Amino acid sequence: MKAALRPNRIALPTTRPLKVYAFDPSRGRYLGNVMTLTVPYERVQAGPTGARIAVVDYDATNRCFYDPVNLEDTRILLQGGLDPSESDLHFHQQMLYAVVMETVQHFESALGRHIHWRRGDRLAKSRKEAQEEDIWVLKLYPHAMAQANAFYSPQAHGILFGYFRASETNPGRNLPGQTVFTCLSHDIIVHETTHAVIDGMRTYFTDPTNIDVPAFHEGFADLAALFRHFSHKEVLIDAIGKTGGRLFDTYLQPAVTKSASGPGGEPPGPSIQAQIAQRNPLVEMARQFGDAAGRNAGLRSALGTPPDPKDYAEKEEPHDRGSVLVAAVFDAYFTVYLKRTGNLFQLYRAGGGSTRADVPGPLADLLAAEASRTAEEFFSICVRALDYCPPVDIRFGDYLRAIITAHSDLHPTDEDGIREAFMQAFRLRGIVPEDAEFFSEDALCWPTAPQGLLPPVEGLLFGDANDLTRDEANVDGNILRDYARKNARVLGFDPGLPVDAPSFHPVFRVDQNGRLHIDMVVELAQTREVPFEKSAPELGRFPLRGGATLVIPRPRPRDDGRSLAHVRYLIAKHLHGAEGELRTARQREFYERSGLIASDPRGKMRFQIDFAVLHRGF
Amino acid sequence: MTPSNVKLRVRMYRVGFGDFFLISLATPKGRRHILVDCGVHAGDLGSISDGVADLAKETGSHLSLIIVTHRHADHISGFATCAKQFQDFTVDAIWMSWWDDPANAKATAFQASLTALARKLEPHLALRAAADDDARQALAMVHNVTGQDGSLAAAKGGGAGGRLGSNDAALALLRGAPPSGGPRFKSTPVRHYYKAGDPPELPPDLVDAGLAVRVLGPPTDPKLVAQMSSAVEEYLSMAGEEAEARPLIPFGDRWRVPADAYDRHAFYPFSAKELAQLVQAVQPDALLAAARKADNTINNQSLVVHLTVGGKNLLFVGDAQWGNWANFLFGGTATSRASGLLSESKRLLGAVDFYKVGHHGSTNATPIDAVKALRDGCVAMCSTQPGCYGQAAKGTEVPRGPLLDALRTKTKGALARSDQIALSHSPATRGLPSLAPIFSPGGALYIDYEF
Repeated sequence: MKAALRPNRIALPTTRPLKVYAFDPSRGRYLGNVMTLTVPYERVQAGPTGARIAVVDYDATNRCFYDPVNLEDTRILLQGGLDPSESDLHFHQQMLYAVVMETVQHFESALGRHIHWRRGDRLAKSRKEAQEEDIWVLKLYPHAMAQANAFYSPQAHGILFGYFRASETNPGRNLPGQTVFTCLSHDIIVHETTHAVIDGMRTYFTDPTNIDVPAFHEGFADLAALFRHFSHKEVLIDAIGKTGGRLFDTYLQPAVTKSASGPGGEPPGPSIQAQIAQRNPLVEMARQFGDAAGRNAGLRSALGTPPDPKDYAEKEEPHDRGSVLVAAVFDAYFTVYLKRTGNLFQLYRAGGGSTRADVPGPLADLLAAEASRTAEEFFSICVRALDYCPPVDIRFGDYLRAIITAHSDLHPTDEDGIREAFMQAFRLRGIVPEDAEFFSEDALCWPTAPQGLLPPVEGLLFGDANDLTRDEANVDGNILRDYARKNARVLGFDPGLPVDAPSFHPVFRVDQNGRLHIDMVVELAQTREVPFEKSAPELGRFPLRGGATLVIPRPRPRDDGRSLAHVRYLIAKHLHGAEGELRTARQREFYERSGLIASDPRGKMRFQIDFAVLHRGF
Repeated sequence: MTPSNVKLRVRMYRVGFGDFFLISLATPKGRRHILVDCGVHAGDLGSISDGVADLAKETGSHLSLIIVTHRHADHISGFATCAKQFQDFTVDAIWMSWWDDPANAKATAFQASLTALARKLEPHLALRAAADDDARQALAMVHNVTGQDGSLAAAKGGGAGGRLGSNDAALALLRGAPPSGGPRFKSTPVRHYYKAGDPPELPPDLVDAGLAVRVLGPPTDPKLVAQMSSAVEEYLSMAGEEAEARPLIPFGDRWRVPADAYDRHAFYPFSAKELAQLVQAVQPDALLAAARKADNTINNQSLVVHLTVGGKNLLFVGDAQWGNWANFLFGGTATSRASGLLSESKRLLGAVDFYKVGHHGSTNATPIDAVKALRDGCVAMCSTQPGCYGQAAKGTEVPRGPLLDALRTKTKGALARSDQIALSHSPATRGLPSLAPIFSPGGALYIDYEF
């Protein structure tokens, strides 16, 4: 009690400043490559070890632990974190902690709720096995192995970052043969963290039940990393200046134009570094890694190739296919950015300005602000749409429908044509939902749940913005499982099999009119074992999952105190009927193609994405 | 057994893990013979030379046609190790895969890069092979690509080895381009390199015999053949570089600390030791993955032939895996699967009388759709030797039990495995059902099926 009365008690800080590379060490200190992140404050132990993430510097190649940094050290606190350095492993640990914390915070503010890490699959496994899969503290291994690879591993409860020697012959901006640390690439950290975040939100998105599922994981992780680029103001302003505001260009104009051709007519070429056109860092991923691999380019870029409807039909490798999704989203983003900045360009040209020349400072500021704001908004749209995705077996077309639905719920008028931009960008790349009747906004929105068929959910508790208490969660879990059992047919489940509710969260969001929307987002799932071939039971079986996402708005309080919540959206993947058959066939094909048939019947992980092998690089 | 009352016979030699098949046709002008592959690699039983001797006797050292499905040692090593014996053969025609055509620049470049990758992997895997069974198997796969070592017969010498790997030596004989003084067939065969859909040109003898052949594979789209994209190759070659003798030590000894430098919460819910073991356990093995991919890629280059003679249909698929099958089952990209089997493929498979089981009975070489579409009660032969690849505990053993069980059901018991008969020094695999009476074992060397 005494302590509470002391008048000069110091409030806890809300944030902790930590320095990081905005891209990776290969860009040196060029233009804002060193930046300070202000991450949510928590007291940390050596590691850093926080409540939900811990940096564990274990090296499996050299079989040792490395010295952990203590961020609470006064000297570090006073400097706002250690200065960036490739050779200081304490800085590596600090940067990893900071970027992961910041990424998580971004997801949480976009989602309007707290997130948790992976929860074990309680349908297919015993309670004990599932609990062993639950990740409470996500481990980050900054120097996990000597390998050109970084990957999220649910088995190791964390993310492994490799280190490797840069190519001796074509190392790009690296020294030949220098050690390259994947844990110092901002892009790679955000990419891998996103895998962990999605895995926590959607347990069954690591079941590669069709070719889109692993591609979605990869594409989405790239999206998250690329959108972060647009928060780096200095880089943005530089790129705007050097692209005349065309932020989507692959190259930046060199500061000085090339020399005129010589008297002998020899072709003009750059002769000093200021004449060399640099790649636009905003739209490329993981430059240092790509350079070190001898590619002389980033690993992937947001807009690699011109849109082609055949892309979606033909690209099969998960990263390539994921890039189609990334390109579609970025096409929409740049379309909206151009629309929003169109009036600025008009004014500029009306005053005699030319976008060929350097964009003047004040205009660049305005453009950068718009690019950054729009990127933030798009990231939110993309993240919020996750809550509107089916729990299992996602297709890119489902994701488009989720985007359109989630966005129109909060922004019915859509003045800037964001939804139209998404629709056209996806269509241009051949991504269309397979079950929508028309390619119009109305038809693409998930249909509202059939009110006559689905009774209200009685007694559901909506908690508050800090999520549900344990008691509230127990009450809701029972109500929801019971509801699923009673309404199995309408929800698309098999009434004879148990239904689980792997997740349910209250979500708090503000719409365009400033009204607070409170919804319960519920995941329901069911598993049926299906033989690979009926006539040949020897070949074994695979789990076919049905699932339904329910979006249930909080009802207005009633005078009698009872709460009758109606399901607004029912987003289902059916186990039976024509849809069930199509999905069975597709899943069987995917397993067969991947060589999973009749393999390893006891292997717990065989029907899960193995990010370690999937990742070519990361 | 007199030739006059035999219309059609398939002979499967038992050599170990490798294919060596002889198709014999009775024609009004005498017997005609087609050799389909002649090789062994892992699990070499040392009997291939005896097999070639029997082949010479049986055919009078005259082959109307040799079909070489693909360039893996376990399908062609005999042409190197038994080259001396083959020098006495007259051969009318040789068919090989489009991918093995020396005049095809695209295919040649592709094969060269694959062999280069295999050679790069070889020393790294060799280092580990003694202590690690997975690495030993991967090494065998790599050797299967290059054709070096691995086979007992190769070690015995003989043949055209010289400075060439045994696959190169075998290809030199088959393509008719041996180094000076190297072995050649007694006659000059007509050579063809076929891809899916090509109308094949049969030697006159076989036309007379009423044989018709359709070429169903390989596809020429690298996407269907190569399960490795160039990017994967790039990454894997880096993995190879890393494994070089120079170990990479990122930080000096003074940075190493005991695990208790960390708060226990960091490891939750594990101990530091458990967590370290988990991190060890999830290390991806890029070398093994690369070896497997190189192996699969060549399997997918298999020449797949459908032969019709005397009203009987025979399907020889080499070691075709998913991409090759997908091409003729579904007509191209694998994503078109949802629309189902091409009706033509369905008809074809539904009328098959004899099926040579793909890839020695491995799990991914006979798609379920194909098993399903095969005619009930057709006859199948599988040349294999257990214990060379995979592990039953992981469900990756070759031959894969459940797949062969499914085929046994489909064929109503008419499935013969080469390891069902005992060689003089090599017993039959234990626990197999006895050979169905429709098959006749020949001495201790082969199994015959007469139509």
